[in-house]
Amino acid sequence: MNTILVRKKWVPYLWLLPSIILMTVFVVFPILIVFRLSFSEISRAGVVGGFAGFSNFVAAFNDKAFGIVMQNTAVWVVSVVGISTVLGFIIAMALNTEFFGRKIARSIVIFPWATSLVIQASVWNYIIKYEYGNLNNVLLNMGLIKNAVNWRLTYQIEFAWECGVGIFVTIPFVTFCVLSGLQSIDAAYYEAATVDGAGFWKKLRHVTLPLVRPSLTVSTVLNIIYVFNSFPIVYTITKGAPANKTDTMVTLLYMRAFYDQQKGTATALSVIGFVILCIVAGVYMMVSMRKEEDL
Amino acid sequence: MKKLAPDARPRSRRIGAMLIIEGLVLIVILLSVPLFEATTTVYTKKSANTFVGDEKYQTVKTEVEAAVAEYEAFGEVALDESVTLRDKSDGTQSSMVTFTASTQGRFTGWQLIGSGVPAGRLLLLLLALSCLAVALAFLQSPVSQGMAVGLAIVALLIPPVFSMSITRFFTREIGTVLSGARQADIAGQLAMADRLLYNGKAGDAVKGLLSGMDFRCTLSMWLLLPGAFLLLCGALRMQNAQLSHALGRGCLYAFVIALSVLILYPYYVMFITALRSPAETTDMYFLHILPVEWKWGNFQDIVRRNVLTYLGNSLLLSFGATLISLLCGIPAAYAMARMRFKGKKAFLGFVIMSQMFSPVVLLVGISQLMITLKLNDSVMGLMLINAAFNQAFAIWLLRGTFVSISSEMEQAACIDGCSVVGALIRVLLPMAAPGIVTTLIFVFINAWNEYTISTVLISTASKKPITVGITQFSSFNMIEWHYLFASALLATIPVVILFMLIEKHLVSGLTSGGVKG
Repeated sequence: MNTILVRKKWVPYLWLLPSIILMTVFVVFPILIVFRLSFSEISRAGVVGGFAGFSNFVAAFNDKAFGIVMQNTAVWVVSVVGISTVLGFIIAMALNTEFFGRKIARSIVIFPWATSLVIQASVWNYIIKYEYGNLNNVLLNMGLIKNAVNWRLTYQIEFAWECGVGIFVTIPFVTFCVLSGLQSIDAAYYEAATVDGAGFWKKLRHVTLPLVRPSLTVSTVLNIIYVFNSFPIVYTITKGAPANKTDTMVTLLYMRAFYDQQKGTATALSVIGFVILCIVAGVYMMVSMRKEEDL
Repeated sequence: MKKLAPDARPRSRRIGAMLIIEGLVLIVILLSVPLFEATTTVYTKKSANTFVGDEKYQTVKTEVEAAVAEYEAFGEVALDESVTLRDKSDGTQSSMVTFTASTQGRFTGWQLIGSGVPAGRLLLLLLALSCLAVALAFLQSPVSQGMAVGLAIVALLIPPVFSMSITRFFTREIGTVLSGARQADIAGQLAMADRLLYNGKAGDAVKGLLSGMDFRCTLSMWLLLPGAFLLLCGALRMQNAQLSHALGRGCLYAFVIALSVLILYPYYVMFITALRSPAETTDMYFLHILPVEWKWGNFQDIVRRNVLTYLGNSLLLSFGATLISLLCGIPAAYAMARMRFKGKKAFLGFVIMSQMFSPVVLLVGISQLMITLKLNDSVMGLMLINAAFNQAFAIWLLRGTFVSISSEMEQAACIDGCSVVGALIRVLLPMAAPGIVTTLIFVFINAWNEYTISTVLISTASKKPITVGITQFSSFNMIEWHYLFASALLATIPVVILFMLIEKHLVSGLTSGGVKG
């Protein structure tokens, strides 16, 4: 075994101690605080009062934006994670083949990952402006359109743009996770499949997909979490306007906590979001782990 | 790749020669065909109560012909008559004759090339490419044949660009100025249009003529032919396997290039907008793909507006977060990789779970905690939060690296009297350097790009990191796009470069640390 002998039993815990302290103070405590606050009375000024039962949760459910925001969040997470996983997979397949300029292509694909979301979102916000946006400018210059097109006519379209930007920035992560899975596949599998007369699709279905499933699992779980928590894109492009119709859960939470001074509602939303995340991630991990054992 | 069978060569060579000649003839013919059609209505006259052939008709027609004659100097004028008949209530008919005179022209590729209109250059390019592709296809080596196919694909891309370019020339470069939407000096463009449409005879009248113009690229689709033909030639010259290989390559390259263009597009926008003047950034009719005047002074302006302070804060914050994260993460990862103890699985589960607790959902809790700890509105607080929320990733990546290194060297060092800590520092860490650098850069970039927590925790302007600092350029009713993107550019370039450095290690680190955990 690749281990080192330690004489005293408590030594390993000493090694873990700094990490545990750091994470307990700055990760576990905020969770506890959020849970405690969500069951407390909080005045508009932020003064914490006594136990309030479920009144904060009732307030959150009765929030006039709650329905649409939950719907938006579902659309946001499913579309961004789903589409970026499919596209990222295709891109990873393309980047896994040998071709001239592959290194450059891989460096380019990593760009959106390395860029701050708030910056990406600002750029796209400029690109799709109606009056002077760069997209209109480029298309007009190419002669593809005769008049400027309003790319953000309704809030639904704006929200679709936000999802698009979300997909755009999520693709690199999926691509690189899948790519690492693809690179670890032994070429012998493909040779054997070729000998057996398998075509491209059969190889994809029976060799590639099962073998990259672990990487896909990791990237999907992490993506669900990242995308659910993604705040800057919506906040920069529409700020949830009009009337919270393009808000997702985290932007609504932020607005309620720091703009509308409804900390109670915000903490209840935090807890709801937190529970949703734990359930989604837990279920997905259990399912995928069982599948891995089946292999 | 298979080589052509020896007995197939003379035949294929003969076919090749034939194809070349046919291809060149095809191109020459295509360029001689009128590709482009322009009609300008120069004169309209309606004559009421006129029947074709009667006296009034004759008088008006003479009148019209006299008026049209002056336009004939510029080119061919076609006179159209249309008759509108209407039944009146008393049973008789009334008739109205409308005379429309229009200059009409069809122009061949050669004329287009000769007139100097930018689209003409594309035709020249098409010609050159075709010749080159034909020559390459004729060579025996498979590489040159592959290149021929590549060129053929490029040749297929030219016609749409050609069509766009000519539309742009007439509607945007000339049209917007004539309609008064944009001011620019277009004397050169007008002269080119004059040369193409009216053989250079229209002179000053060209403005009027062009503003009434209706033009069409009638036959530009046929320009796809040379490309298709070349592709066919290339295909015929290749064996089946080679062909599908070449086509696959073509698709792959097209995909990768399209993808790269899409990904780089926002960066291009960021770059050129950062160097524009404020008026240019919000001008709808603004025509130039590149800034008219490169405003490098924008960078001096943002420096005056504290961007360097923000960058400094970001730097401090990211270094601090990385340092704390590694100082706590390395021992933990080491224990996880090398020691056996109770609760190891539980800790791993805790690490994995903590990955899922994003700071954003916990915003309220974090801000409350920081107020309690008196760490709100300080870079130090941001450091600790970033370090804590990157712990999971750091431990994951580091543990994966440590596990992949054999412990024999450390054991030997321990036997030689080195302590465990000494073995870690002197033996393991140097060997694990790539993994550590990856972790370091990864945490650094995450902290550098973090936005949400910083917005909430920092209220003093001089303590803001760059991601929050750039929002000062976008107030509610006015966004200073050029400053915003100039600072964004400064914030983006270094981390993108850093990220590219670790790309290779990141891929292996993600899986070795993540999947097998």
